[in-house]
Amino acid sequence: MLIMIVLLLLGFPMMIPLITAAVAGFIMMFGGLGQMDTFIQQVLGGIRPASLIAVPMFILAADIMTRGHSADRLIDMVMSFIGHVKGGLAVSTAASCTLFGAVSGSTQATVVAIGSPLRPKMLKAGYSDSFTLALIINASDIAFLIPPSIGMIIYGVISETSIAELFIAGVGPGLLILVLFSIYCLIYATVNNLPTEEKSTWKQRAKAVQLAVWPLMFPVIIVGGIYGGIFSPTEAAAVCVLYAVLLEFVIFKSLKLPDMYTIAKSTGLITAVVFILVGVGNGFSWIISFAQIPQTILDAVGVNDMGPTGVLISICVAFFVACMFVDPIVVILVLTPIFAPAIAATGLDPVHVGILITLQVAIGSATPPFGCDIFTAIAIFKKPYWEVIKGTPPFIFILVFSAGLLIAFPQIALFLRDVAFG
Amino acid sequence: MSEDDTQHFTSHLPGFLGTIDEWISKLESFILALGVLLMAVNTCVNVIARFGFGKGLFFSGEINRILIIMITFAGIGYAARHGRHIRMSAIYDAIPFTGRKILMICIALFTSAVMFFLCYFAMVYIISVFERGRVLPALQIPIWTIYVWVPIGFFVTGVQYLLTAIKNITASDVYLSTQVLDGYSDSEREV
Amino acid sequence: DTWRYAHEEYEGDVQDVYAYKFKEYVEENSEHNVQVYRFGELGESDDIMEQTQAGILQFVNQSPGFTGSLIPEAQIFFIPYLMPTDFDTVVQFFRESDAINEDFVELYADQGLELLKMYPEGEMVVTADEPVTTPSGFNGKKIRVMTNPLLSSTYEAFGATPTPLPWGEVYGALQTNMIQGQENPIFWIESGGLYEVSPNLIFTKHGWFTTAMMANQDFFEDLSADEQEMVRMASEYAFNETIEHIDGLAEESLDKILEASDDVTVTRLSDSQIEAFKKRAPMVEETFIDMTGNSGQALLDQFKADLDAVQ
Ligand code: NA
Ligand code: NA
Repeated sequence: MLIMIVLLLLGFPMMIPLITAAVAGFIMMFGGLGQMDTFIQQVLGGIRPASLIAVPMFILAADIMTRGHSADRLIDMVMSFIGHVKGGLAVSTAASCTLFGAVSGSTQATVVAIGSPLRPKMLKAGYSDSFTLALIINASDIAFLIPPSIGMIIYGVISETSIAELFIAGVGPGLLILVLFSIYCLIYATVNNLPTEEKSTWKQRAKAVQLAVWPLMFPVIIVGGIYGGIFSPTEAAAVCVLYAVLLEFVIFKSLKLPDMYTIAKSTGLITAVVFILVGVGNGFSWIISFAQIPQTILDAVGVNDMGPTGVLISICVAFFVACMFVDPIVVILVLTPIFAPAIAATGLDPVHVGILITLQVAIGSATPPFGCDIFTAIAIFKKPYWEVIKGTPPFIFILVFSAGLLIAFPQIALFLRDVAFG
Repeated sequence: MSEDDTQHFTSHLPGFLGTIDEWISKLESFILALGVLLMAVNTCVNVIARFGFGKGLFFSGEINRILIIMITFAGIGYAARHGRHIRMSAIYDAIPFTGRKILMICIALFTSAVMFFLCYFAMVYIISVFERGRVLPALQIPIWTIYVWVPIGFFVTGVQYLLTAIKNITASDVYLSTQVLDGYSDSEREV
Repeated sequence: DTWRYAHEEYEGDVQDVYAYKFKEYVEENSEHNVQVYRFGELGESDDIMEQTQAGILQFVNQSPGFTGSLIPEAQIFFIPYLMPTDFDTVVQFFRESDAINEDFVELYADQGLELLKMYPEGEMVVTADEPVTTPSGFNGKKIRVMTNPLLSSTYEAFGATPTPLPWGEVYGALQTNMIQGQENPIFWIESGGLYEVSPNLIFTKHGWFTTAMMANQDFFEDLSADEQEMVRMASEYAFNETIEHIDGLAEESLDKILEASDDVTVTRLSDSQIEAFKKRAPMVEETFIDMTGNSGQALLDQFKADLDAVQ
């Protein structure tokens, strides 16, 4: 375990600490390397679930929209409505992240799609860079909660929870966070006396909506298709790709055929980088499970005697802290099976737990010292570490507060699910 | 997303080996793109066949399973080539140049060794799957055939990390891969 | 020693009951311990099978539906109306059949496995979006099946459209009407809540969900004769206890379902209705023979002879 953390911190590729720890586990359990082929079996087992194809498909769809016109048109529409209010630019950024979240499954895609065009505008309007960066990083977390969401897909696959139910349950908390962020943006803009954008006329707004109508159909297609029984949540991802291709290549004509090759290749690359972690993560949890370590730890800590709220809080703390250090997908992969017995024993709703985990993972990955969103932002915006994290504390406070609300009032998440699935 | 920075790959290997290396790189990127596109097409065709014509493709799920393995194991070599494997570099970045260089050589050598190690056991595993003769239920093809990418992928990745170590030993700068210089300014990460 | 035993189901399910009864007997009658791993703890069904073949696990419980990709003959249990419908006759068949206790033992031995016991888990019940009593009633209905060609052939013969879907997506797909039905033993329909989204239960009497418990053969052969005997006794003990457990389980589950939901309908096919479905069975037998050749034909003949003997 210690070796694992040291390797991780030293900057080894993230799969290496997982593999090394697993190999150590195999040597301990079997007294040698004779059974290492089972590790390979489990690496392949990890990338076997059919639902995982949703990951490359949602990445592909988001990439097509970002390189094409869809993302820009969504931003323009949001701006035309709320750009003029106090802090409107910041609120627009948060709202755009939420809206783009409804078409994309990953936080990092959202950071790029919304952050890249809006950050220069915010800086020009007088927002400080640290506030802007913190807002972009944290508002992108909303995209993780608004369906579709890669984190929910992976949680659903591992815990065998309905992905359709997780999707709809993420909407409530996502909107709650948007509202809280907007309030903070408003206060920030008022305190710092920031100028507002020019108010758009209704004619301009109508025009912006008209331009955004096509991309706005995405959530309609996803939700309608899934709940109308046309396709499963997994297949919805591929249908999104089809629709994105239709928009950008046929209707907007913003991309050309060779672009498709580049986009597909880049999607494949990200998929491989994520899936090899999913695979070795599965191999790692196999040996942990074989050695009965989760049961031993949970018994020692006494999680099973904590009651539902105690279990929920333990889950939150574990995921939050782990995500400050490790990639969220790896955390979901490794920790979910460990907590599964405690979740089952206390009779918690796995959908409620899933939403809470998704939220914790999103918060943790935007939290210093090592949250991975921070490094995405450093890489994309080429700003130093300190500048990127300086503005994050208020946002993290709001997110933790939301997590508390979600524990106290599960209905924030479950209300819509219960309406949809009665 | 950011502009593609994996467009051109020029091998640093001499002569004939370099040509092979460049071909492998082209092949990897072709497999990645093709795999992703086929996955989208396969899944959409299944939806249309099931909803539009009342009968889905029985083997659609198995095709996607084959493609996932293909993409993952063609992709890990390609990602190593372009220094794109997810890593946490906060402490590493804070270390002065010489330390970083030594550390990068250690990382590359160790990672390379781990990849060759997994390549060996992937072959052991494939042989046992071959001997047991399990088939894919719908397509009825032997399962070992869909796993052949696995040792190849580990092997290519191992070679790439080995070359990265050599590059760091011979060149004056610090390299994340044979292609990519360390430092955020020239290694814009695609997400 | 600690012997490791993996099965495919959750806590309290039939395979779990069997595993814990086996463990109980072994631990009382020997110095060994048995560590039971449930579904998902060590991977999916195919994974635990391979791990047993590799000797990491000593015992595994796998249903022939999954074994079909390794031992095609195991799919014989998917041929509809082959097995008797009455519980006591089924139990007697499993106890006395040469096909089960000799032919299958050889088939598993070819894969390095010592077959210790085959046992029924429960009668298969179809659930659908409306009560169905005839093959034409299944026309155009997408019925979820495991990805298994023979099972798929059964539902094609019944007039339905077999649709493979991972287990995790079944509930949601029934809910959204992406599929119109599925089949499972009644206690799974109850514990998985499937009746909530697919409330019309149809007792077609076409088959039993069967499963098999086996050991790694090298491990088993290295045991002393006494220990081998003890393991066989443990399997027998677990079999008897499990049969007692499932006797009446179906009625209990059905009662729970009827209590929980007012939408549920129960359709028990009459003999003449069953006849219409039975007529379609030879099509599936043909598919089975196509897939398994002479060895499958011989097994099928033996099966039928054994059935005549008990009926
Ligand atoms: Na999203
Ligand atoms: Na995040």
